[in-house]
Amino acid sequence: MKTFRFICLLLVAGSLLFLAGCKKDDPKPENIPEAITKATLTFTPAGGAAVIVTATDPDGDGPLPRTLSGPINLVKNVSYTLKITLINELAKPTDPEYDITEEVEEEADEHMFFFAWTNNTFSNPTGNGNIDGRGDPVNYIDSDAKGLPLGLETSWTTINTAGNGTFRVILKHQPDLKSATTTSNDGESDLDVTFNLSVN
Amino acid sequence: MNYTFTLLLLFRLSMSFGQSCDFTLSGKVSDEMGNPLVGATILLAKQNRGEVADENGFFEFNKLCSGKYQIEVRFVGFKTISSSVKLSANKVWNVTLQSDSTALNEVVISEKHVELAATSTYSSLSGKALEETLGKSLGESLREIPGVNTIQTGPAIFKPVIHGVHSQRVLILNNGIRQEGQNWGAEHAPEVDQFIASNIIVIKDAAAIKYGADALGGVVLVNPAKVPTQAGLGGQVHVIGATNNGSGVLSGYLEGGLKKLPGFGWRAQGTIKKAGDSRTANYVLSNTGFEEQNFSIATAYHSEKKGVDIFYSHFNTSIGILRGTAVETAEDLANAIEREPPQYTSPFTYDIKQPRQSVQHDLLKVNAHLAEGKNEFRLQYGFQNNRRREFDFRLGAALSDIPALGFQLQTHTLDADWERSHSTKFQSCWGVNILYQSNSKIDGTQTIPFIPNFDHYTAGVFAVEKLTLNDWVVELGLRYDFKKYDVIGFNFQNRLYRSNIDFQNFSGTFSTKRKLGNFSSLTTSISNAWRPPNMAELYSLGTHQSAAAIEYGLLLDEKTSEVKEYTATGARVEKAFKGVVGYKIEKQKFTTELTGYVNYIFDFIYLRPRGVTEGLRGIFPYFRYTQTDASFIGFDLFSVYQLNRQLTLTGKASLLRATDETQNDFLIFIPSNRADIGLRYDSKPIKKFSWNAEIKIRWVGMQNRAPQVITPREIIEAQKQGIDIIAQRPDNFDFAPAPDSYFLSSLGLGATWKLEKSKWDIRLSCDNLTNEAYREYTNRLRYFADDVGQNITLGIHFSF
Repeated sequence: MKTFRFICLLLVAGSLLFLAGCKKDDPKPENIPEAITKATLTFTPAGGAAVIVTATDPDGDGPLPRTLSGPINLVKNVSYTLKITLINELAKPTDPEYDITEEVEEEADEHMFFFAWTNNTFSNPTGNGNIDGRGDPVNYIDSDAKGLPLGLETSWTTINTAGNGTFRVILKHQPDLKSATTTSNDGESDLDVTFNLSVN
Repeated sequence: MNYTFTLLLLFRLSMSFGQSCDFTLSGKVSDEMGNPLVGATILLAKQNRGEVADENGFFEFNKLCSGKYQIEVRFVGFKTISSSVKLSANKVWNVTLQSDSTALNEVVISEKHVELAATSTYSSLSGKALEETLGKSLGESLREIPGVNTIQTGPAIFKPVIHGVHSQRVLILNNGIRQEGQNWGAEHAPEVDQFIASNIIVIKDAAAIKYGADALGGVVLVNPAKVPTQAGLGGQVHVIGATNNGSGVLSGYLEGGLKKLPGFGWRAQGTIKKAGDSRTANYVLSNTGFEEQNFSIATAYHSEKKGVDIFYSHFNTSIGILRGTAVETAEDLANAIEREPPQYTSPFTYDIKQPRQSVQHDLLKVNAHLAEGKNEFRLQYGFQNNRRREFDFRLGAALSDIPALGFQLQTHTLDADWERSHSTKFQSCWGVNILYQSNSKIDGTQTIPFIPNFDHYTAGVFAVEKLTLNDWVVELGLRYDFKKYDVIGFNFQNRLYRSNIDFQNFSGTFSTKRKLGNFSSLTTSISNAWRPPNMAELYSLGTHQSAAAIEYGLLLDEKTSEVKEYTATGARVEKAFKGVVGYKIEKQKFTTELTGYVNYIFDFIYLRPRGVTEGLRGIFPYFRYTQTDASFIGFDLFSVYQLNRQLTLTGKASLLRATDETQNDFLIFIPSNRADIGLRYDSKPIKKFSWNAEIKIRWVGMQNRAPQVITPREIIEAQKQGIDIIAQRPDNFDFAPAPDSYFLSSLGLGATWKLEKSKWDIRLSCDNLTNEAYREYTNRLRYFADDVGQNITLGIHFSF
């Protein structure tokens, strides 16, 4: 009986201590290195001003919709270099996780950009892009260690007639998958945005 | 392995040397008609040892010393028998119980604390039936019980569903302690080693008012056998292998007592499991392997009037999730659904890669009880530490090795109760439950946490009164609970928010049991239960593994992406009213249990597809926790017919009809109607050897009451034309139609050798005999792949 009382007391005292607990510090916020909150497409002609469009989504997977600038205003019969940059504004610009472009570059063997456009807007590459067919022409400038295209940098020449259309960019993450035949349906999307495009 | 056996033998030899404590007392418990009383409790009162009669009414005590024993045999609805037996050699002692319409004795399951009301509707899994499920997970074995199904995420993750509801609406009592893990996701399986159970009981009405107000669906009791109280050494070893996933299981325990300290006993138990990828009829389910390492230690001291139990268990698992399910955008989801076999399907392997989960669960329990005349007091403290980490394929290999989700949940529970027998016809039990729980994110996941950090306090008081009046047993229970949440979390913009919410409510049960003639009884119960929204339902933001959709909690403002105060939203607690009627008839050759139920849940919380959100990765379908009034109406049938001494025919059926009453719509992931039929042959024992064979056929119907289908492809096409198809077709929907109905057959062969001091069981079984390619509606992998194909299992069980 005495032992029993003692155990009871011990248990009650112990649990009261736990219940009283100690005031905790606020949890530390996490760095969110993977959230792409802003994608920038910069079309730079051989001479003259660059054409820049952005896609932003400040709350990542949250319910707020993304916003797209644009249209992409290109001049007919001009060659452009397209550079894509991805940043994460949930981090500070000084943080290493701010620049996601770098991450994609380092993981080039798992990533690939795919492109699609309407109305045969370009004379080089021709066609409508490689989202619907991996073999279709797109002029990649960069590549991964195996020589497979990456797509952070690509080159484009507009056609000689004015027109409007759309321009879609998909970045696929293809860990253990990426090959000379993997398509835009393989792996998971890290980026999938469609801008309006006009050529004048 | 050999080494272990040798060690066991050595132990045995050394312990039995010079003692005459090796006698066996065995027998059969039956009613006046000679029917076995399955689940009857046989107690050696002085030694505090107990056994439960198996499905043939048999029991057996090993390692008894010569002497006089006081035996008590109890079973609900029968007069308890007390008798003394003198033992000087192995003895067979058969006992017949007389039915007693005035009996108010409770069934003592493993410990006094885990008791069933005489009036409750329950089903149990024990003895042979439980043994035959060994090697499966807890959730999977529970499917043997009519009215119990599972919500499944692939071949390794099973969550019990009782009468159509699951997760926090189903309370699991592991060794008398409320199991507290991250129980909010459909892919969060109970962290329980099934091998510790000597019986599993499912209470289908809310009669377990002693354990909490929140068991809207029912309660699962996982009860280990009692720790021995006298000298001697005993144990069990199970070795199980299966062909489908190349799995191997090794489990066992050793137990004993001390000669110098009668009443003291101990048990040490452990389980190791390893499984590779499962296979469907046609392809490998890549990355569905799993492994488990568990152990537990129990020690107890019992004297006639008091006792103390200490129990510690550690559960550790690592589970792979089908690689092809790791999709998030509508585009990826559409591709994954249209593709078969799934993306990343590769040759069989034991490797577990991302997406995967790693879960550890520790449980410490201290229990003390004291009997003083007509009073009995019990006090129990439990501590649980749950650690869950989920790994996904992430941007960059370095990140993939960091969990994308990580939480540590610590729970302290304190339960005290006082039971009084005012007279043989009137008993009462009063008690208090206190719970303190703290959840914190594991730092460094580099993601916004899915649920916030929180402190959760609960205090509850209850009173249960039982009265016997002629043929009636009446039970009345009342309970009051107070709960408080203290929350700090991060919203989608990674900004800190805080919240404090408290809840309080009453719940009650009223149940009766009436004996109808000599063979049948009728139980009825009406109960109400309530449950506040859990953390995920309130605050979740993110994507579950293999869920392919973003989930938003009740408190998330869709317009601002901020988290609102509870009181500023229309969120309410869930309130259930459940009525259960059970009719049972037990005759010599024929036993049938029919259970009918109606569960009406006000403000039922469920995930409702709400729309499409556009992010930079593409468009995402999103789901939002929503409240509606829902009803669950159904029947469970369990029937056994003894054709002759050797042949037994068994039939089971579960019917369920669930409705979203507010919207007059269907609910998603509701188990479809199903039925089982089994024929079993048990050989006459030839000396010490007996064998059995069993064939079972299971039919699972198509869920015809499934919500409309909107495929991800339709969502994408509509979005291209600027149409929000989900807003246009606002009813509940599913991404794919419900799978077709299917038949599965299985075959089992078993053999038993009962030697003087030990018992060998060998069991060979084949599930999905015809290697059927099928999909189960309640398996979330049904969008992506077929279910598991043919599986041959060989199990060897040795006990001494």
